[in-house]
Amino acid sequence: MKRIKRRAMLRGTIFGGTVAIGLPMLDAMLPRTGAAQTGTAPKRVVFWFTANGTRQDIWSPPVNMDLSGHPLHAAMAPFSNKLIFLDGVDQDVAYDSIGDGHQTGMACVLTNAEILTGTLFCEGNCDAGMEQYVGWGGGQSVDQYIADEIAKDVVTKFKSLELGVQVRSSSVWSRMSYSAPDQPVPPREDPNQNFTDFFSDIDSDPFALQLIQRRRKSVLDAVMEDHAAFQNRLGYDDKQKLEKHLQSIRDLEQRLEVTTNFGEACTSPELNLPGGSFEQNDMYPATGKAQMDMLVMALACDLTRVASLQWSRSVSGVRFNWVPQIYGEGHHGLSHYDDSDANAKADLLEINKWYSEQFAYLLGLMDGIQEGDNTLLDNTVVVWVNELGKGNSHTRRDIPFILAGGCQGYFNTGQHIDFGGEPHGKLLVSLTHAIDKPVNTFGVAQYSQGPLSGLNT
Amino acid sequence: MLPQGIKYHLLIGAAFLAGCTGNIGGGGERAVNDSVAKSLCVVDTPIRRLTRFEYNNTVRDLLGDTTNPADVLPPEEEVAGFNNQAAALTSSDLLIEQYMKVAEDVSARAVLNIGALLPECDPMLDGNDTCALSFIEDFGKRAFRQPLSQTELERLKSVFDWAVNEPDLGRFEDGIQVVIEATLQSPSFLYRAELGSETPVEGDVVLFTSWEMATKLSYMLWNTMPDGELLAAAEADQLQTKEQIAAQATRMLEDDKARDLIRNFHTQWLLLTHMDSVTKDTGVYPAYSTSLRPLWKEEIQRFIEHVILEGDGSLQTLLTADYSFMNEDLAAFYGDDVLDSVTGPEFRQVQLDPDRRTGLLSAAGLMATHANINQSSPVFRGKFVREQLMCNTLPLPPNDLVIEPPELDPNKTTKEQFEEIGANPACAGCHTLMNPIGFIFEHYDGVGQWRDQQNGKDIDAVGEVVQTDDIDGEYDGAIELASALAGSTQVQECVSSQWFRFAYNRTVTQEDSCSVEQLNDVFRSSNFNVRALLVALTQTNAFLYRRAVELEPATGGTQ
Repeated sequence: MKRIKRRAMLRGTIFGGTVAIGLPMLDAMLPRTGAAQTGTAPKRVVFWFTANGTRQDIWSPPVNMDLSGHPLHAAMAPFSNKLIFLDGVDQDVAYDSIGDGHQTGMACVLTNAEILTGTLFCEGNCDAGMEQYVGWGGGQSVDQYIADEIAKDVVTKFKSLELGVQVRSSSVWSRMSYSAPDQPVPPREDPNQNFTDFFSDIDSDPFALQLIQRRRKSVLDAVMEDHAAFQNRLGYDDKQKLEKHLQSIRDLEQRLEVTTNFGEACTSPELNLPGGSFEQNDMYPATGKAQMDMLVMALACDLTRVASLQWSRSVSGVRFNWVPQIYGEGHHGLSHYDDSDANAKADLLEINKWYSEQFAYLLGLMDGIQEGDNTLLDNTVVVWVNELGKGNSHTRRDIPFILAGGCQGYFNTGQHIDFGGEPHGKLLVSLTHAIDKPVNTFGVAQYSQGPLSGLNT
Repeated sequence: MLPQGIKYHLLIGAAFLAGCTGNIGGGGERAVNDSVAKSLCVVDTPIRRLTRFEYNNTVRDLLGDTTNPADVLPPEEEVAGFNNQAAALTSSDLLIEQYMKVAEDVSARAVLNIGALLPECDPMLDGNDTCALSFIEDFGKRAFRQPLSQTELERLKSVFDWAVNEPDLGRFEDGIQVVIEATLQSPSFLYRAELGSETPVEGDVVLFTSWEMATKLSYMLWNTMPDGELLAAAEADQLQTKEQIAAQATRMLEDDKARDLIRNFHTQWLLLTHMDSVTKDTGVYPAYSTSLRPLWKEEIQRFIEHVILEGDGSLQTLLTADYSFMNEDLAAFYGDDVLDSVTGPEFRQVQLDPDRRTGLLSAAGLMATHANINQSSPVFRGKFVREQLMCNTLPLPPNDLVIEPPELDPNKTTKEQFEEIGANPACAGCHTLMNPIGFIFEHYDGVGQWRDQQNGKDIDAVGEVVQTDDIDGEYDGAIELASALAGSTQVQECVSSQWFRFAYNRTVTQEDSCSVEQLNDVFRSSNFNVRALLVALTQTNAFLYRRAVELEPATGGTQ
């Protein structure tokens, strides 16, 4: 662990040892409004995705919220007073939408919007020759909405950070974040690349960093001029496509200036990745751990306030070879066995338990970082989402949502609530309220009439 | 948006406009002068972003950078089976950020050997400005695939000037480095905008400039930038007639870079990346190890490359050849099916037992990929043949259906077990399309090794193929089926349509009917020679013309 000159230190436990973590609020974070928020750590939101539903039959916590003996969630026991388990929250919009179970579950979970008509991805009912095609997700996702709103107040190095673990190809089955309808946001999957992108500034010579900034600005200015000239020659549709590209360059240039100031305050995590490609199936646990380590440090360093970690994708075929008794068969295949199949049920328990252990690891990292009187976890809400409730039925009802962290006391944690069939759009509305960017509805209004009651204090 | 995603197979079978097919030959005059109505089968050409594969190849040819730097970019959107579909490739903040970083890495590497970039100019002797301008003009032309405008040249020169005047930089190399950096982030590098010449040929139909045609040919047949010969032809405006274009296409297919095209296309069409994650139960298949995966893939790629680029090029050979390419380890895996003895790690051509193996379909890698972990899968194999070779689109199982492969039963063959499942009326509607085709491959076990018996019973590799255009009937074994597939118009037109989508970076639309028919005619009259098909792809109206750019939003039905 490298120590750099830094101000405003606190001690925290992260990445296996006690290290110094810089306080996130720094000069570079001066709000655009001019109203300084000195001394207060910001609120953050993190989305966490796992696929193919869960073991709904055993998912709920006990009444007393003691998770220590829970078949799935025992690893989360230390944080039970910082969790909310949500039963009975349904993706109603997914049942109105075109698209198959996985597609709708994935594209709707953060958008609460129906999938667009389109001709990109095939979806089918079992009438041969009657295949249907669908497009991308049909709305901005809540993480991107929140990121856009926060960007109006403050410029962080990244507007949001989407991390993925073996998400692989890009399709409506594998994207949950959308910057706008029809605009999927790809996650960052290569941990080594992420390390460079997130943390290389930290240990750099400030003069060298300033030179990089000047240089990038000079180059990007020329590139933007070039874009304007190029666009003039194009037809309308092509111009729209290029305009999005140009907007991203503008955004990138604006965020260049943020880098230097953070160089003094943060610690780069040590990844200790084993050899082998991050894309290999059996690297899934190691890649996931590295991504979690970096996600937490990125939050602690205030590189962003909105993040997500997407484990694989809907229809995930990851083979949990590191769990001995399920060697070989992929998650999706296992999720399709009948409820009466004891072997498959045992395997699905192991898979979902493993994911709970990873979630507990993330929460542990976050809870180990002090920010004033709170921990990073207390200042954040982590939202566990899934495209399905259960794999073999493809139900998008009773999605196993879990909230962790109170978002600075907004959420009344330490409870289990059965909502008895509320639409999940209301949960998305709750999140906008928690992060102080409230909306009345999000996505399809019919399924998002205000926040879920009982969640907040 | 362009209309797209039409059910291409049905469309190919549809009637085509009379008179469209007469434009294959033509004289030596500019294509402009053909008497055929150009307005038929002409569509818009959307801008196309380079794929990662194309980016990597392009910086290899542009700067000698062989590090595949674009591998770090987000993956392309995969649509209609391919990752190069113009309409589907979206942009994102992450992509743009990574373009910047990749450009920085590539340019930093490039100036390590500044002499190679400027072989004919020495800044010490000729002066910084002279050499910089000369570099920008030459490099810019190759990177943008056409000469720079005065404004573009001045813009890049101002970036150069910034660097040499920057106190912490200041060297000539620094200036060249930022020029490369800016160039690689320019839309003129990252996108292929083939906007057409300004003078309409007829109505709103325009030809492409020779520079644009060089780029079209190069990315279509090589998946990379134009070489010196194409650029010279563009400079001389010698890429205007069909003959000029066909002559270049023929030359290009003889170049080694055509291998990139053949490998890229077949990797996607035949789903070869699935082979990278094949896993088998070694209790059932002791012959399996992960080291087989790359060998399986290389066998198929080498075989296809040989047939198309060095052999007779025919689809029939691809499907029915009794030879393949193997090294010692792979040949040992195939055992008695290989009639030659093979030693060493190098792949070489081998003769196969013609009673057991037939072209690429019976390749062990494909059979193993389309199988379960501990048994073959008539469903997966049938689905593969239906979707990839016959261009059928099979629906996914219904949402609420519980699907599981049968438990291994030591008293039954796989075929017997799947016959029981397929008989379920809920499944039969779709599975009669897949399972019987899969049964025909039952001599190949879950790793693709030949078997005469399973669980003490003789293999029954008879299956009845139904609901095809022209090969309905009962077949016993893959040899019979492959021969029928090779002679099937449905398969031939499917292959042609797969190439259309891949080569033109878009799906077939209704406006393409005469271009599609033209391709099918050439394919047929060449005895289904894939090389001839590739040249023919440069001769259609869909390739040769576009509609003039509409600067205002389209109205009415085209939105």
